Amino acid sequence: MDDCISSDEDYYDSDRDSLHGLENEDSEIQRVPKTPSTKVITKESLLAAQKEDMRRVMDLLSLREYHARTLLIHYRWDVEKLFAVLVEKGKNHLFATAGVTMIENRSNTSSEASSMVMCDICMEEVHGNDATRVDCGHCFCNNCWTEHFIVKINEGQSRRIRCMAHKCNAICDEAVVRTLVSKRHPDLANKFDRFLLESYIEDNKRVKWCPSTPHCGNAIRVEDDEFCEVECSCGLQFCFSCLSEAHSPCSCLMWELWIKKCRDESETVNWITVHTKPCPKCHKPVEKNGGCNLVSCICGQAFCWLCGGATGREHTWSSISGHSCGRYKEESEQKAERAKRDLYRYMHYHNRYKAHTDSFKLESKLKESIQEKISISEERESMLRDFSWVNNGLSRLFRSRRVLSYSYPFAFYMFGDELFKDEMTEAEREIKQHLFEDQQQQLEANVEKLSKFLEEPFDQYTKDKVMEIRMQVINLSVITDTLCKKMYDCIENDLLGSLELGIHNIAPYKSKGIEKALELSACWNSKANTSDKYPPSDCGTSGGLSECERLTSLNSEENGCSSRKRARAEVVAGNFFDLNLPAEVVDRN
Amino acid sequence: MIDFARVQKELQECTKDIEASGIRVTPKSDSLSHLLGTIPGPISTPYEGGIFQIDITLPDGYPFEPPKMQFATKVWHPNISSQSGAICLDILKDQWSPALTLKTALLSVQALLSAPQPDDPQDAVVAQQYLRDYQTFAGTARYWTETFAKTSSLGVEEKVQKLMEMGFPEAQVRSSLEAVGWDENLALEKLCSG
Repeated sequence: MDDCISSDEDYYDSDRDSLHGLENEDSEIQRVPKTPSTKVITKESLLAAQKEDMRRVMDLLSLREYHARTLLIHYRWDVEKLFAVLVEKGKNHLFATAGVTMIENRSNTSSEASSMVMCDICMEEVHGNDATRVDCGHCFCNNCWTEHFIVKINEGQSRRIRCMAHKCNAICDEAVVRTLVSKRHPDLANKFDRFLLESYIEDNKRVKWCPSTPHCGNAIRVEDDEFCEVECSCGLQFCFSCLSEAHSPCSCLMWELWIKKCRDESETVNWITVHTKPCPKCHKPVEKNGGCNLVSCICGQAFCWLCGGATGREHTWSSISGHSCGRYKEESEQKAERAKRDLYRYMHYHNRYKAHTDSFKLESKLKESIQEKISISEERESMLRDFSWVNNGLSRLFRSRRVLSYSYPFAFYMFGDELFKDEMTEAEREIKQHLFEDQQQQLEANVEKLSKFLEEPFDQYTKDKVMEIRMQVINLSVITDTLCKKMYDCIENDLLGSLELGIHNIAPYKSKGIEKALELSACWNSKANTSDKYPPSDCGTSGGLSECERLTSLNSEENGCSSRKRARAEVVAGNFFDLNLPAEVVDRN
Repeated sequence: MIDFARVQKELQECTKDIEASGIRVTPKSDSLSHLLGTIPGPISTPYEGGIFQIDITLPDGYPFEPPKMQFATKVWHPNISSQSGAICLDILKDQWSPALTLKTALLSVQALLSAPQPDDPQDAVVAQQYLRDYQTFAGTARYWTETFAKTSSLGVEEKVQKLMEMGFPEAQVRSSLEAVGWDENLALEKLCSG
């Protein structure tokens, strides 16, 4: 049912064209943002997506790429927060807490390479070539490093692999991890890369996986407001905040409660407690369908409806003997009454919610018949060629139906006892309920009118009559749009706003329907490459492993590549950065 | 796989300065994956004078994964379970580093005995007592040390010695003693019956 809205790209433009002179035209233009603030991140663009953030950090702090990534992972990709810490507490604090260490004057690695080194982990003497010194200055043998990395990756700690030395907070250079691990377990090295890349999605509050099943592989990034509804490029529409279906004007909490309630058997159970009594013999629930209070179950057992007790022979149609059931149980009566009232209340809201959802489904069929009518009309009438108003009206109808149907669960919780009982006085609640219901009613009436006009067999009408319907549909479209917007405003400002409860946030009303996230442009411009202040020669981060060796090992890895790897290599060719290559190599390309 | 070469070296190192540290690590079986650590109770604490035994199991990933340690001697301490002997110590969990050794880990456990962390308790009852009524806590801890960490564990080595002199292998002697609750007569019966 979601995809009905997604068609008709040019709907608004033509709608506006036909609405010259209508007062809300200007405000509509202002309200519609020029570009969507949500982006689709695919497997291919994931790297490009994080490059912007990384580049900002690298530029400001003159850092190498993996240091920037370490910082960003630590600060959960919140660049603003990272910069705030930098300004408040300084560079040293920023680096120390994130585990970034840089030793400017490292000891001469070439002399180390030829000598023997004592590894404190395996307690063996190893040749300098078989040991690696990391940024913090600690040096251990390659075997021990590899073991350490494998254990950490398997523990799911790829994003924060620390140095092996006790109490050393430094995060290991990702290139060292990759090179050493891939020698023994290429698969695990790939996994490590993926974990690093996906940190951008999983540790970032602005980015979330699309909840589609089967998963489309995409993630969505929002630029400003987390409370919004988006459409992924796979077509799924969802609420970014709670990842369930788009449910505004319900808040996420309300929606969660509502679907649980709908799914729950609890309402059925309620009905059973109110309307039936268990048979004292077979314990099946028995419903009384009329008559006196002597009830008999299908199993043959007779019992008193008032107290549920089994009756003997003296208990006849004419006399209810041996019972004093009229004398007590005020409390249980009350409880039953309350359950009954709650059930009716729920049924009221659920029926209307359901009615609009059902109409919405029925009207989806309307779309086909309308297309037919349009094509007939187009052939018949050469004068009236533009029938976009029909499609536009239809889209407006779908959109408003959605709003209407979700407005019922909203009302159920807004004016019920569950969430806001102590937040509003009875009088306040009543005023608010009237305010809301008036708006809801108005919207409902206009939506029904719009629906009626759209069902008219306009293909059989005269030109004048068609023009009249056209005017009506256009007018009603504008009215329902305005009413929807007003309802959202009312909910946000008058109903929820006064409660000052931060937990009930609703996605803003989008006149154009749920925003389609744009594919993130895959061509990332590497404008700031030159700012990498580290010449390739002094960046041998590892004790015995020279830059050359690292490159050759990387290349050999590239040759025996899996399909996933190949995809990455192509990305490099297309002017991308490859995570597998040090920044300098990419810069040279 | 456990790096047994390293474990061997660790044991040698440990034996070398046993005089200075008082910390002993001995294999429980032939496999080196199950060890027994012994630490003296720190001076001027309620644990002074006691000898505490710690059961050590090495995981497959040792030394890249932390060793599993548990008190075999009953001890009254906020961070050690009075029931199971489980130890709440960061370096035995997420703060473990492969650069640490069994000896350094046992030294940390010893340090924990002298500096309890009642705000991060393993045994809530003990921690409550430590915070609310230190005198009673110290009394109980001292009593437990007297009862469990002195006679029995000191006696244990003597018992082991005695039974070994009768011609039984050490591993078997220890396991029999452990099985019968360190009663040398019962252990002897067990050893004789096969």
